[in-house]
Amino acid sequence: MALHRFLFSILLFLTFAAGPVARAQTPADADLLNLSWEQIEAQARGGEVTFFLWGGSDAINRYVSGYIGGILRDRYDITLRRVGISDTAAAVNIVLGEKQSGVTEGGAIDLIWINGENFRTMKQAGLVFCGYQEKLPNNRLVNWDNPSIANDFGVPVAGCSTPWSKVQFAFAYDQARLSEPPRSMAALLDWIKANPRQFTYPAPPDFNGSVFVRHVFYHVAGGPEQLLGPFDQQKFDRVADKTWALLKGLEPYLWRKGRTYPTSVQALEQLYANSEVALVFNYEPASVGVFIENGTFPPTSKGYGLSDGTIGNTNYTVIPFNSSNKAAALVVQNLLLSAEAQYEKARPEIWGAQTVIETDRAEPVMQAKFAALKQHPAVVPAAELARNALPELQASWIVAIEKGWLANVGN
Amino acid sequence: MSEPVKIFLLLAPALLVIIGLFFGGLLVGLLHSLGYMPVIGLERFSLQAYRAIFSSPDFLRSFLLSFHIAFSSTLIAALLALAAGLLLRRQFLGRKLISFLFQLNLTVPHLVGAIGILYLFSQSGSFARLAYSWGLIAAPAEFPALIFDPYAIGIILQFVWKELPFIGVIVLANMQVLGADYEAVARSLGASRWQAFRFVLLPLLAPGLLSASVIVFAFTFGAYEIPALLGAHYPAALPVLAYRHYTDIDLAARPEAMAMAIVIALLSAGMIALYLRFVRRQLATHKRGSQMAPFTGQPGAGH
Repeated sequence: MALHRFLFSILLFLTFAAGPVARAQTPADADLLNLSWEQIEAQARGGEVTFFLWGGSDAINRYVSGYIGGILRDRYDITLRRVGISDTAAAVNIVLGEKQSGVTEGGAIDLIWINGENFRTMKQAGLVFCGYQEKLPNNRLVNWDNPSIANDFGVPVAGCSTPWSKVQFAFAYDQARLSEPPRSMAALLDWIKANPRQFTYPAPPDFNGSVFVRHVFYHVAGGPEQLLGPFDQQKFDRVADKTWALLKGLEPYLWRKGRTYPTSVQALEQLYANSEVALVFNYEPASVGVFIENGTFPPTSKGYGLSDGTIGNTNYTVIPFNSSNKAAALVVQNLLLSAEAQYEKARPEIWGAQTVIETDRAEPVMQAKFAALKQHPAVVPAAELARNALPELQASWIVAIEKGWLANVGN
Repeated sequence: MSEPVKIFLLLAPALLVIIGLFFGGLLVGLLHSLGYMPVIGLERFSLQAYRAIFSSPDFLRSFLLSFHIAFSSTLIAALLALAAGLLLRRQFLGRKLISFLFQLNLTVPHLVGAIGILYLFSQSGSFARLAYSWGLIAAPAEFPALIFDPYAIGIILQFVWKELPFIGVIVLANMQVLGADYEAVARSLGASRWQAFRFVLLPLLAPGLLSASVIVFAFTFGAYEIPALLGAHYPAALPVLAYRHYTDIDLAARPEAMAMAIVIALLSAGMIALYLRFVRRQLATHKRGSQMAPFTGQPGAGH
């Protein structure tokens, strides 16, 4: 989390007055975009693509290097170099450094797995190759009318990145210990008071703890609608004061009487696995199935969503403005978006990631495969969660909420 | 090649690492703490970061917590090590085995020990489960909170467990060097066992004991991973607070993080200075002891 927050602040300082988005397009880019897809594929042949992505999951690494890399090699003679990083901000930092040193061609990175504040940083600094959406044949599978796909944490994608996966926040409980969990935010708050010391949440700025606090924030604001858009200090203060009062009032009923909070979602998962708390949650609902299979969670665990909705977001891949092989990067993006690759990714034994394409726009064969996908029985189906999906706020709101929590509740 | 040049060349690799990497890093940290970070446009020196942290209640609480952790761990470990040393210097059946077990955890990394503490002492750990099966508690929340607690009991437990053999080995070695002669003389002159210990052995051991304790204090004050793993969220130990500021999205926090790190470094440097003083005194004591006849005694032997 360190560097991308660092960069976010740099750009607040340096590009504060830069209103419009800087579209980085060289003459070579314009030529590329004038080619037909077959010509782009021909140009990409024999090339090498360096793909920077978070490397913390063996399953994901195997999928990218093995499955995607294999198809690229066999079908297009493209070599995929996967570079695992622990924080996407590191990749953003590289491209930023290259731009500042005048490296406008032949950059080190061809593709980055990205979303949120990092994407905003890159877009505002003109670090992204844009405007190629229509060229990708598989772009038709994406529903760009869906605001949660067309906007990345409140920032319009505007043709600068290609969607890859979706995640949506979900809870889980142990059916053996709890007959019926609270299925809405209001019910959860009442349940906490009625069942003291059975619930806690990780302290922000942990990613999952932060999104839980944002759920409470939405609940106090009566919904996210007025909070979308740029940061508004007055709106924030109105909602924040009530939120902090609510969370502080909840403290005596939390685990350890709210005197301390787990510092990460992993710590919360341990508490749940050891029956110290009754509920657990995560941005990635498929993790419940993974944990049951490896024996961490009790086998009677079951995931569920909230009736008033949970926050979800989409993650994307971007091509840096100075990529040395944009044609090949486009081919990779097209492949990542294909129904076959999205299906493979959705299989629970491979990755279990939620697909970002509209399955009813795919071939009938693939549609049948998607329909037959067996999810782990304990994992809440993505379609069920998607019925009540709440959008993310812009990064400036998130920062303010995290800081406010630390100053008002976390001490 | 002249002698000094040869010595310098032989030392050069080690000096390069120490001066270049270690002191270089310290210097960069100091510059950042003084507000000099040209890469983000801060080019003027100022004490703003220091002013900010010294006026912040968070820093004060974290400092006091770290001091409490370091002081308690060191005191308990030193006392127990002294007691262990007194027991282990005699010959008894199984002494070799007990000595080996005593020193075994010197090789165990701190993180492994911390995870062991988590497994044993958390409210859903082994001891809690034992208590539950004996009917002493009915829910995890009823087991006393030893981890993630405001008194840092779990952290102190881990440090005592790990530092006890460290101090103990030093104390034992000192006792072996001293031998039993001084106490034997004191006893033969009519001192009781307690007086022989208090006025003869303890002053002789003091420099060694104190120098080891000073190292342990400096280490436990600046340790990050144990409080990060076993500590409460707030107040956090000083190194944990410094790291949180370092990874903060607000850039103004980075000089503050460095300022906290410099404070920790200064405290450690102070401890090292104390350590050197004690070691010098210890060496002087030993030298004097080997030159003088035992009968003429030592400072503090009642003369």
